[in-house]
Amino acid sequence: MPLSLKSPSLPSSITACTKHIYSQTQSRSLSASSRQNSSGRVTRARSQLYRWLGQQGAIFRDPADGHTNYLSAYTPDGQLRRVIEAARDKKAEKKAARDANPNAIIPDAEESGVKKAIPPETTRDLRPFPLNPQFVSQSVLSREAKEKIWEAVMVDGMSVRDASSSFSVEMSRVAAVVRLLEIEKEWTRIKKPLARAYSNAVMNMLPISKFEPDEQRRIAEGIPPHESINDLPIHPATGPQIFHPTSESRVFSRADAAKVFHERLLPADDRVPHPELTIQHKEFTVGLTKEEIRKNQEERDAEAEVIRMRKERRKKAGVVKTIDTSRWAFKFTDINVDKAGKDGRGAQGVGWRYGKPLMDRKRGQVKIPTSVDL
Amino acid sequence: MVVKIRLARFGRRHAPFYNIVVCQARTARDSKPMEVLGTYDPIPKPPIDGEGRAWKDIKLDSVRARYWLGVGAQPSDTAWRILSMAGLLEPKFRPQGQTLRPHTLVKSVRFDTRSWGQRKRDHEATV
Repeated sequence: MPLSLKSPSLPSSITACTKHIYSQTQSRSLSASSRQNSSGRVTRARSQLYRWLGQQGAIFRDPADGHTNYLSAYTPDGQLRRVIEAARDKKAEKKAARDANPNAIIPDAEESGVKKAIPPETTRDLRPFPLNPQFVSQSVLSREAKEKIWEAVMVDGMSVRDASSSFSVEMSRVAAVVRLLEIEKEWTRIKKPLARAYSNAVMNMLPISKFEPDEQRRIAEGIPPHESINDLPIHPATGPQIFHPTSESRVFSRADAAKVFHERLLPADDRVPHPELTIQHKEFTVGLTKEEIRKNQEERDAEAEVIRMRKERRKKAGVVKTIDTSRWAFKFTDINVDKAGKDGRGAQGVGWRYGKPLMDRKRGQVKIPTSVDL
Repeated sequence: MVVKIRLARFGRRHAPFYNIVVCQARTARDSKPMEVLGTYDPIPKPPIDGEGRAWKDIKLDSVRARYWLGVGAQPSDTAWRILSMAGLLEPKFRPQGQTLRPHTLVKSVRFDTRSWGQRKRDHEATV
């Protein structure tokens, strides 16, 4: 009988554990590890593990709902560090209050029937690996938040950019949420089974960020944004430290700084994921009303749309058609014979040129690229 | 002398590249043609999005090709295959027992001025 079928749950005490292992080894006489265990011997580490699981470790076998249960959040004897600290702080507070005013009656939370809430996790509590303090578990989007994002994009027709800035979720994440939920909905439609239990188990283990779709209320209630959405991506051209002397009288802007790094590098204001937020904020500081800012943004969006459409049309005109055969796809591009010019050697013409030897076999020709365009 | 539409081989060893040319039938293969209609790169390129079929690049001036066909230029078999894929000719050869995909079933005759969509719709109506 396979091991997993015979023992679905772990034994809680050391004696039970020993018995358990002993019973297993008898039925698994062909196993390579049977000789070592046939004497009923258990390693110290193993017995300690089971002892720990029966005592302090029990909280990890049956984790509490509503918050994460990482090793770093607990003391060695299995108590939540933040609960202990909160109790200590409260005690100190009470003592200070009593010292200041000995006659006042301070209501006790337990006495007045208010249930004690577990204080929120700090960064210390969000480290799942005690030996790797650099790793901090990041909050994920809740199921409700994902549904709201999907609805905003797919039902209300909001652009990914707008959804990203209004929910304060990165654009790539918004796109991923929409794509994955689309797949999920499709699977539900065709009645393909979903791994709900797995998803729930994972979600129970991770910190979940609070979600409030309404921006005003989010600010009013002080709910922190899910993530920073307008971080400047690191461009390899900005890697070197450059000492660039300029005259004091000169206005040296971010656009100039970008030019110093590389002549084709865009300024930081344009390289951020949401350049429109910067512009809107600039307009806000100048003193424009919300209506005016919105109107200006709509105008800019319309302009960008026109440019995008023009680009798309140009791209479409390039490739006439694709013909799929059983092996290849043939891509037909329409050209103009006259582009080659009178002598047939114009730079715009296509095809191998006549009467012009290629220099690639000539001595001294460098064929390895000497520079790489960024 | 007959005017032909055919391929002229350029490129390097193991790296062929063809010009689709209009030329006199008896001239040398790679000699200077009357006109270069386009190119055919027979080396398949990996799909752009990483999935789907590998693709081959063909550049063709369909207006000029149509003109040359109209004045009696005779395509070679290979050129015929390319021109029929471009929708300028009816396919000459079809593999035995193989049914082509609907959009490669070019049912056009010479100088067919119908659009691709129209052609497909007409074809579907006849089937």
